[in-house]
Amino acid sequence: MAPPPPPPNKNNDLRLEFLRTIAQKNVIPKPLRKSQIELAQADTTNQKAPKKSYRRHKGARQLISEETKRINSILEQEQLLYDADSKYVRKTPKVTFFNVSAPPSIKPTKKYCDITGLNGPYKSPTNNIRYHNSEIYQFVVKPMAPGVDQEYLKLRGANFVLK
Amino acid sequence: MSKFFAYYSHHIMKYFKSKSVSRQEGVVADNNTGNRQVRDDGKQKIIYYSSLSDKAKCRAHKLKCSYIVVSNSDIRKYKLPLQKTRTSYVNIYDFKVVLQGECEFTKEDRCTLCMGSFNELPEDVDITLLAGKALDEFMVVRTPCKHYFHKECLSDWLNFDNLENAHNRINEALEMSRDASVAPLNVTVLEDQPFREEGEPFDSAESYNPETPIAIDFGSYNVRAGYINQNKPTHVFVNELTRYRDRKLAHTFTFIGNDTLVDQTVCSQAKSPFDGSLITNWDYVEDIMEYTFNHLGVVSDNGVRNPLIINERLACLASQRSNWYQILFESFDIPQATFGIDSLFAYYANNETNKDGIVIDCGNQDTNVIPIINGNAILTESKRIDWGGSQAIDFLSEVMTLKYPYFPTKLSDYQYRRMYEDYCYVSQNYNEEITKCLTLEQLQEKNVVVEAPFTEILQPQKTEEELRIQAEKRKETGKRLQEQAKQKRIEKLIQKTEEYEYFSKVKEQLVDQPKKTVLSILQNAGFDDERDFKKYMYNLEKSLKKAQAIETDGADDDAEEEEHKFDLLEIADSELNEEQIKEKRKQRFLKASFDARQKAKEEKIRKQQEEEEARKKEEEWRNTNLASWIKDKRKKLAVLVKKRKDKVKLKEDMKDRKSQASQKRMKNLANLAEDTPQSGSKRSRQQATIDNDPNDTFGANDDDWAVYNDVTQNPEALDELIEEDYREIVELEGQLLEFDPNFTEEDTLDAQYDWRNSILHLFLRGPAPHDSEDVHEQHQMHLNIERIRVPEILFEPSIGGLDQAGISELCETILLRKFDSKPSKLSQTALNMVNNTWLTGGNSRIPGTRERIVKEFTQFLPVQTQLAVYQSNNPSLDAWNGMVKLGNNKELYPKSFITKTDYEEFGPEYIKEHQLGNVNYF
Repeated sequence: MAPPPPPPNKNNDLRLEFLRTIAQKNVIPKPLRKSQIELAQADTTNQKAPKKSYRRHKGARQLISEETKRINSILEQEQLLYDADSKYVRKTPKVTFFNVSAPPSIKPTKKYCDITGLNGPYKSPTNNIRYHNSEIYQFVVKPMAPGVDQEYLKLRGANFVLK
Repeated sequence: MSKFFAYYSHHIMKYFKSKSVSRQEGVVADNNTGNRQVRDDGKQKIIYYSSLSDKAKCRAHKLKCSYIVVSNSDIRKYKLPLQKTRTSYVNIYDFKVVLQGECEFTKEDRCTLCMGSFNELPEDVDITLLAGKALDEFMVVRTPCKHYFHKECLSDWLNFDNLENAHNRINEALEMSRDASVAPLNVTVLEDQPFREEGEPFDSAESYNPETPIAIDFGSYNVRAGYINQNKPTHVFVNELTRYRDRKLAHTFTFIGNDTLVDQTVCSQAKSPFDGSLITNWDYVEDIMEYTFNHLGVVSDNGVRNPLIINERLACLASQRSNWYQILFESFDIPQATFGIDSLFAYYANNETNKDGIVIDCGNQDTNVIPIINGNAILTESKRIDWGGSQAIDFLSEVMTLKYPYFPTKLSDYQYRRMYEDYCYVSQNYNEEITKCLTLEQLQEKNVVVEAPFTEILQPQKTEEELRIQAEKRKETGKRLQEQAKQKRIEKLIQKTEEYEYFSKVKEQLVDQPKKTVLSILQNAGFDDERDFKKYMYNLEKSLKKAQAIETDGADDDAEEEEHKFDLLEIADSELNEEQIKEKRKQRFLKASFDARQKAKEEKIRKQQEEEEARKKEEEWRNTNLASWIKDKRKKLAVLVKKRKDKVKLKEDMKDRKSQASQKRMKNLANLAEDTPQSGSKRSRQQATIDNDPNDTFGANDDDWAVYNDVTQNPEALDELIEEDYREIVELEGQLLEFDPNFTEEDTLDAQYDWRNSILHLFLRGPAPHDSEDVHEQHQMHLNIERIRVPEILFEPSIGGLDQAGISELCETILLRKFDSKPSKLSQTALNMVNNTWLTGGNSRIPGTRERIVKEFTQFLPVQTQLAVYQSNNPSLDAWNGMVKLGNNKELYPKSFITKTDYEEFGPEYIKEHQLGNVNYF
């Protein structure tokens, strides 16, 4: 469906005009999508346009928890089948989003200065910030404004997360 | 031949630094320091010696040197009389000799000292032909380091009358040259994303063939799309979408991919359908797919008729895949689609189907390590690190905002991406490099300065003419004011004289009048009584005299004092009349004050003498036993430095309310304020507060008074003390600098606070002094340690707060512990894999990645294991190339796709398993 033609541009807003031409170019004369095809047909037959179906927007966290539920339900189902017939070979999903996630490192974590990224042999007792030497402590760590320490700790995932 | 040397020590110092010659050795060098290339051609010999001892002179003589180079610091250090330096070591008039034959002097050149132009040169002189002699006539002098001076300026500069002044100026010059010797840093302006002039082009619909499969690499950063009969994707665009509301038309436009880059507002509102590595906004995906098909020139036949090859993630979520099915089969009505893992496509693009190998895919949202046996991916042993280019860029941006919290502008994601892609690199030995990173030498090489673009507000520069006029104006106003003041003074003087004359007449009239009349006359004139009148007259007289003195430019006060005679003091009162007794009293008073002054003068002279004596004593000590003198001074200095340090610490502590120092102070205050102190033994304290109590021993011990010191120790008072200590330290250091050969500038207290010694300065501002007033420097960021810190996260994810193993650790596990391998002996499969390691994905383009992986592999593999790590020319296109290769493979391709009928029959859970895709169960 083509957008309505632009009204005479009194302000001579060239930028808007330019944007419009670019957007116009992307309007497809013959639609590719089913929803739009239906819409176009509805237009020609003067029927009421079908309501556009919106998919529910789900965040990444929700998607992952749904996947966990799905895998668990498969496992339960297989277990039920196995309980019913002990000869049944259970099919377990071995390659899942969770299985392929890299395991934690077995090597000891090295200590780096949170401020500079140099070696950080010392740790501030007040806010757990690691620092390289006394100069860093004197000029950065000690006079640090409240909240900034958490920003630094967040870089290496050591900040407090309130839930 | 010319025989002189560069006076400007910074060139010489630089040369010595570059050759790393110790200052204590004699060095022979050509004088061509101006080019900063010193040739040892033997024609010119110059000896540089840090101390102008006889030894040095001998050596210079031996080497047949024309001159001995004296650096500014030596002049200061050895207190060389500059006059002497000028005549016996330096002769500025020798400078002109260099100019013969080579001269690049232009009229734009300015005097190095006064920054004035050489505009006194006549118009008709051909400057390029100016020989030294000619220049000399026009009072221009050029030093071998190609600095031009007004002859006057230079000789002024070398010819100070006053040594103290000379020192200050040399100090300044030295300070300047020390910082001036630092090469200016190379600054790159980090431009924001350039906007496109045109929208994304369309492929012609005429050559459209509904049979040709379309390959789309739907990456989280870029979408790459094209037909499989092409050798590169025709459309590569950022995977972003903007819904732009045109309020006038009341219509929402959609801008996708490169079309978002045409305008500022559209660009800034662009959003990705991805949230991390997962697609969350499927409406966007549908729009982007339609846009892609449209630009590929697909002609609609109530849907898209082409087969499609598309990528998905390793171990993709079932819901993601079913959404894809839905969009492709239901919305676009695609007949058949192949889903595969992009890492495997990338591997396949560069390998045959039956080879063993391991693929390391460094993507935009995650990094995958997948072992492959006989062309089949072993997904059970594959691993994913949730770190990719996009996380790295976010990390960099967070690190930089924390590094420069007061940065005046906010940089865009694009600018951080440029920083990451252009300047970051993988360190070959991270732990070693970070220890060396923040040193001057390393920073010269590795520090990168980027500047955020900003519009500079230029202060209108005043021309010399304007400045001159301004100065003149100011002078004139001053003169006028002075004249006005003078005028007023004169008027006042006249008035006063008139008044004086009038009252003198009155006084004359008063003589021989009865007291009553006198009083009434005076009271009429506004006086209280005769005394008041006399007082007034006296004052008037005095001020008149003073004013007259000023007018006649004042007589000398001292001379006046000399005039005082104290003749009456010797005579007894009885011999004097009343007038004389008065006079005597006056004289006595004057004499007392005169004596006091005299005494003070004598005291002053005595003090000076004492000081002189002490100085002489010191000198004698120094001359007879330098070692013990130095030892003593050093000891004193150490004590002073420590004292100062303690005070600084105390001052710091005072600021903190909870510190021990301030707690103690508060306690003392409370104790003193309280009438009945609680602390201590009650009885004795109470008794001690009673005045005149014999038991009150407070003050008997001098330390008792320290309590008041403790109480008054406020930061301001401490500041003064610290300042005082500092002055003493500087004085001592000056002496040591002068006489102790082992005490150098670097040992001074000031040197400790030099930016060269500050890690923090080097980290924030790089290897150069920082000028916080400079607008450009305010807009600059220095990338040094970040350049290696950010890419290092792939190898050590804990730096980025990720509790996962790094690339090399994952590979180590796969190669040494899986597929029947042991750490001591690798299986054949593992050996094949090591020999065919593929590095792919856009994030692997960071320089040094491949070399680092080779290094890490060599470290954990048994000795002499053959290993090969490959990387294609364009790792970000590997996946798309793999799709094309698959689409053209007659054998493999037909087995790989899922048709619309399959989907309708088996539902959204169905996975068509093939070599390059995800699998369902094992």
